[in-house]
Amino acid sequence: MSIGSVKRVDLKPKDYKSEVPVVWCPGCGHHGILSAVYRALSDAGVDPSRLICISGIGCSSRTPYFVNSYKMHTLHGRAGAVATGAQLARPDMAVLVLGGDGDGFSIGGGHMPHMARKNVDITYVLFDNGIYGLTKGQYSPTSRPEMKAYTTPYGGPEEPMNPLLYMLTYGATYVAQAFAGKPGICADLIRGGLEHRGFSYINIYSQCPTFNQIDTIEFYRDLVETVPKDHDVTDLGEAITLSRQSSAGRAPMGLLYKVNRPTLDQRMHAIVEGVGGSPDYDLNRIIDLHRP
Amino acid sequence: MGKKDLVIRVAGEGGEGVISTGDFIAAACARAGQEIYTFKTFPAEIKGGYAMYQVRTSLEPIFNQGDTFDVLCAFNGEAYEVNRPFLRPGTAFVYDYPDGDFEPEIPPGVFAYPIPMSKTAKELKSYRSKNMVALGALSILFNICEKTLVEVIVDKFKSKGPENLNFNLEAFHKGRSLVESVVKEDPWRVDDPVDPKDVLIISGNEAVGLGAILGHLRFFSAYPITPATEIAKFVATHIPKVMGVLIQAEDEIASLSQVLGASYAGKRSMTATSGPGLALMGEMLGMASMSETPVLVVNVQRGGPATGMPTKHEQSDLFLAIHGSHGDASRIVLAVEDVNDCIHMTAEALNLAEHFQCPVILLSDGSLAFSTQTVPAPKVDAIKIVDRKRWNGEGEYKRYILTDDGISPMADPGTPGGMHVATGLEHGPTGAPNYASANHEAMHRKRFGKLDAVVNLIKPTQVDGEGHADVGIIAWGSTIGVVREAVTRLRAEGVKVKGFYPKLMWPMPVAQYEEFARGCNKILVPEVNFQGQLSHFIRAETSLAPISMTICGGIPFIPIQIMNKVRETL
Repeated sequence: MSIGSVKRVDLKPKDYKSEVPVVWCPGCGHHGILSAVYRALSDAGVDPSRLICISGIGCSSRTPYFVNSYKMHTLHGRAGAVATGAQLARPDMAVLVLGGDGDGFSIGGGHMPHMARKNVDITYVLFDNGIYGLTKGQYSPTSRPEMKAYTTPYGGPEEPMNPLLYMLTYGATYVAQAFAGKPGICADLIRGGLEHRGFSYINIYSQCPTFNQIDTIEFYRDLVETVPKDHDVTDLGEAITLSRQSSAGRAPMGLLYKVNRPTLDQRMHAIVEGVGGSPDYDLNRIIDLHRP
Repeated sequence: MGKKDLVIRVAGEGGEGVISTGDFIAAACARAGQEIYTFKTFPAEIKGGYAMYQVRTSLEPIFNQGDTFDVLCAFNGEAYEVNRPFLRPGTAFVYDYPDGDFEPEIPPGVFAYPIPMSKTAKELKSYRSKNMVALGALSILFNICEKTLVEVIVDKFKSKGPENLNFNLEAFHKGRSLVESVVKEDPWRVDDPVDPKDVLIISGNEAVGLGAILGHLRFFSAYPITPATEIAKFVATHIPKVMGVLIQAEDEIASLSQVLGASYAGKRSMTATSGPGLALMGEMLGMASMSETPVLVVNVQRGGPATGMPTKHEQSDLFLAIHGSHGDASRIVLAVEDVNDCIHMTAEALNLAEHFQCPVILLSDGSLAFSTQTVPAPKVDAIKIVDRKRWNGEGEYKRYILTDDGISPMADPGTPGGMHVATGLEHGPTGAPNYASANHEAMHRKRFGKLDAVVNLIKPTQVDGEGHADVGIIAWGSTIGVVREAVTRLRAEGVKVKGFYPKLMWPMPVAQYEEFARGCNKILVPEVNFQGQLSHFIRAETSLAPISMTICGGIPFIPIQIMNKVRETL
């Protein structure tokens, strides 16, 4: 997002907490991610009145209610598309999408590639718990086949997708991953996303103790492995290699990729400048083009 | 009533210059003070295939394409074959002969003018000048103003270099010389030039785009779809000039989602689509109703369902426009009558969306989309702009506070103290989720009740004809233009007939329907769809028992069809 152009404020993490009580189950990883969001907003100095949090539907999509900001709680799968419109209309706002794996990659999967390749200047925090929690435990696009769930009583028949590889392939300019059990790391990566000019994707593993019995907090703790210190974040090939490790049981944690490319709103601004756009443009000039 | 108009139909193969010939005639006539209404059909193929362009011209207002043509100009054998059934006694037939690809049989009573178009073009060493030869011949035969015709040819070709221009003018004058000695026997001629009016020639789709820009549109997102895509093309060209944004979305679900996001962010926002796209937008329209977010969807109807007949005309999305969403989803549905409406009602639809904070669906159709018409040049200052009601910053802000008129002030992001949630969940006045029975009912009353005022805000439905009528015709969309002419012609014959032309389709102005019906013995509702969709709503919402008249062959009504049906109904 474009917080570079927004006046920074000096607020504590708790100042970003809204009055709406948090509704998640005890032990849910989302609590850790929420505290990381508060800290990231505080660290980045985001003015709450210049922040729009946008979500779709799911447990994690309730998050905007808990954040002191402008916010939209929209339809299942549509957070990214709604956020694209909001960001293009108001490049002077910070736009933060908060949602889950089913919302983002299943029903909303049609929008993901386009936000990434168009480099829409939003920060997308995906709470990846490998399950549909709000509908009480169905397998999701990131579920492991071993998981027996509501609609997979005999185990899953599908391979999970790899969100990091997906985002790198489609051209996201900031790709990171963390684990809800490490809120400090989560906060740093979200802050980095907020400060990055372009499409930032942060995948955060989040345990669901209620419905996902195999992806426990211990499982994720053992799964993640900090990105090597000498990793070159501008090297797409290296980032892709790291992203593929998760299939081998060692998921990278940290910043995988970060490059600068003109954002969609910057390119549109260039078009406006190219045609001499102005709020006082004489509309008669457009009318006159259609005289016989 | 004597015929005061002239209809010239030019037909041939796509790529032979059919469309540009029609455009030249239309523009030359408009510059010579004539009113214009054009109608065209395109081949479904990208190249080749049958193409037709019809120009109706008159010194008096024209509301539709006319019953049929008076003059046919056929560039090839297929054009002749397709139109042969309509060559009635009295029509003039201009065709490529000798050395064209066909040898027509001239029906009795038809005035035939064989013109060696292809041969002359070949002598001029360019097949592409065939249409200019034809245009030259037509201009002499039918008195199309030479001065303005030369002007439009010069304007069109001057940017392409003097060689190109001179060559086309040569072909044009050669065409004129071919008919100088021909004895004209038919009665068809364009009226002599009069002072030109302050008009534009513009298609329905371009007019929607112009209306949007004049209506201070600042955000547009759409996905390509026939027959609506020209709207996006127009807006894409001009919206950057007013600092606005156009994005082509990955699908129609995304386009309306983006529009919703942009509108929440404070900008006047719209999309344009056709039936399949509107179907995909159903869920997000409900979101706009529930979250009370202003959005405008222009829907250019085409033949359906499924992929249907994408390039063909139909008025079959009224059910979808009015009720297409789950739950009880409030909205405003409007329908344009003609190209002039496309300008002014698009601007007005943006106002209504902003004022009522709800989705507005504006229905156009495949026939208006590509029909070019002369319309009064709009005056920028005369376009009224109504903005959403914004919070004044006093006290505690509640986004969905209950008010007398059901309108709750909005707060743009960036407004200190105005932070709130726009939500698809049922909510109380602050936006916090609230599933209490009394709250859901109160919020429904708010979302629907605020629309009671729509009827008073837009112009009352027009009634055509006075006194008691044996037959009252209710028409919507581009069918209105056909009915207007049928009513005028029937009344001139002494038939007691009236017309009623609603533009506000939903909420229905029931009292106005009832009042109109009180002055009529029978009510006839012609519309271009299979099920009689407006008839259905009239039966459901009013005490009227209309006679439904439907066609759905992919083309609009013509006046004579309506006239015959009225005589039958008497």
